[in-house]
Amino acid sequence: MADEAREKEIMEKLAEAVIEYDEDMAKEWSETALSEGVEAFKAIMDGLAAGMEHVGELYDQQEYFVPELLMCADALYIGLDILKPHIDQDKVKKMGQVVIGTVQGDVHDIGKNIIKLMFDVGGFEVHDLGRDVPLESFVEEQLKTDSDIVAMSAMMTTTMMGMKKVIKMIKEKNPNVAIMLGGAPVTQDVASLFGADGYADSAGNAVQEAIKMIGQLRKLQKQS
Amino acid sequence: MSALTPKERIQKLFRKEAIDTMPIFSGMGMVTIQAIQEMGIRFASVHTSAANLAGSARTTAKMFGFDAAIVPYDMCTIPEALGRGISLYADSAEDILYPTVPSKWATLDEVDVNDDFLNSGRMPLVDDAFQILKSETNENLGLGAWVLGPFTMAGQVIELDILLKGVKKDKERVEAFLGKMTELVIKAAVHYESLGVDYITIREMGSGTDLLSPRMWKTLIGPNLTKVFDAIRIPTVNHICDSTDMIIEMMNECGAEALSVDQKNNVVETRKKVGDDVLIFGNFDPYGTLVQMDASEVEAVIKKCIDDGVDAVWPGCDLWPDVKKENVEAYVNAIGKYGREATPAVGRL
Repeated sequence: MADEAREKEIMEKLAEAVIEYDEDMAKEWSETALSEGVEAFKAIMDGLAAGMEHVGELYDQQEYFVPELLMCADALYIGLDILKPHIDQDKVKKMGQVVIGTVQGDVHDIGKNIIKLMFDVGGFEVHDLGRDVPLESFVEEQLKTDSDIVAMSAMMTTTMMGMKKVIKMIKEKNPNVAIMLGGAPVTQDVASLFGADGYADSAGNAVQEAIKMIGQLRKLQKQS
Repeated sequence: MSALTPKERIQKLFRKEAIDTMPIFSGMGMVTIQAIQEMGIRFASVHTSAANLAGSARTTAKMFGFDAAIVPYDMCTIPEALGRGISLYADSAEDILYPTVPSKWATLDEVDVNDDFLNSGRMPLVDDAFQILKSETNENLGLGAWVLGPFTMAGQVIELDILLKGVKKDKERVEAFLGKMTELVIKAAVHYESLGVDYITIREMGSGTDLLSPRMWKTLIGPNLTKVFDAIRIPTVNHICDSTDMIIEMMNECGAEALSVDQKNNVVETRKKVGDDVLIFGNFDPYGTLVQMDASEVEAVIKKCIDDGVDAVWPGCDLWPDVKKENVEAYVNAIGKYGREATPAVGRL
């Protein structure tokens, strides 16, 4: 079992692997964490997710741009795939289920994938419908899974209008479902007008929002 | 003095010669649902018929008093001609869905550019649309073509995350791929030039600093755009939407006749950076202004663009076809009202 100093070192290395988008390092230190008895959930939250929070700061400071963010996300997933099967489910606060996808007419899914990462890290069960998804599929999947959140993205104005219809269809059937919208053309005004509960207006901002949410989740997990 | 024809007005604007009033045009799609309805067709059927493509552009221009017709409307003509397919959504219940590319190349190794792409897919259909527009408008209306820039074109034919990560991880191969895309863009643009269009907009819309760093833009985007603009002999517009404040000077160095930016650009600052001699087009949000706003609010948006220092009021992107008629009329009227004064780069007759 790693002592406090060693555990701190492992967390720092996991964070560094994400920040430096070093996939080999993420693999090595995730395996080290497990072999030395570090709690998997703690390694995710205080190692990988903490690294991603720092990545968010680098993005804010315009040191990192989307290519770097994508590579950081890849490194995070490498670690997540190793650590996640070892999470002690009893100790994890159940976060719920989410349906996610890009709407029909849109084949851009970078923002969607980054938001998905946030849900994955946060312990949600994610139902990823992919991209270019027919509008009714969001409604059907939400009903089938009884998901708490439906997250949709559209990179272009030309596909944004479909989201309004999905929100209407879902809210009619289940008003308690939280709807998140994302994508370049989505503004606060559009989100409000469409009846959505949250929004992010670009892949970059999606990352910022996701990272903020990871920060909130980390706090919540510590409190619980 | 007799008024200029729309075509003359646009040509003179690009030459920075005095004009009577600011032309109402764009370098991107300007088709509206009102024109489509008048023709009795559906949006999905516009993209696969030269007559519908030309007819909808001409009808829109005539209906609202635009100075130019621009085709095509979708970004898939070249990817489709390269064998990447096309999703037209012809059976969708949605009124307006733009075509998309259903099958991108999964890796750089799979990329295989068809040398005869100008004769493949819908490319000949777009040529026919230009010929129809030329003959039906009797050379009176300006004619605009556009081609995606090399980086944005690359993102249409290969998965964007491979491209974005590749610029860091696999730089040499990505650069070689972008070189191929540059040749492709030049070939398409020079072809449109040969068809007699008046201006060509190169839309490198996926390269703003929301996605790429200015440093990356300088090494990866700027040199390829310069090659494209060097190869075209008719007026060109360098258009990038999203954040451009940090790269506007580099955009200006690429050699296009004009710069086009969207609503995220601070045009007042841009004007200071590039000087009064450079044509700047922009920069209103087409969806917010022509679809969402009340018509009474439109005039102020257009006036601000002109006050900030643009030489032509351009939307930041394609017009969303489902515009409010009264908003488009307000936009046209506002240019008529405030576009009679000289702009920084262009005087008035």
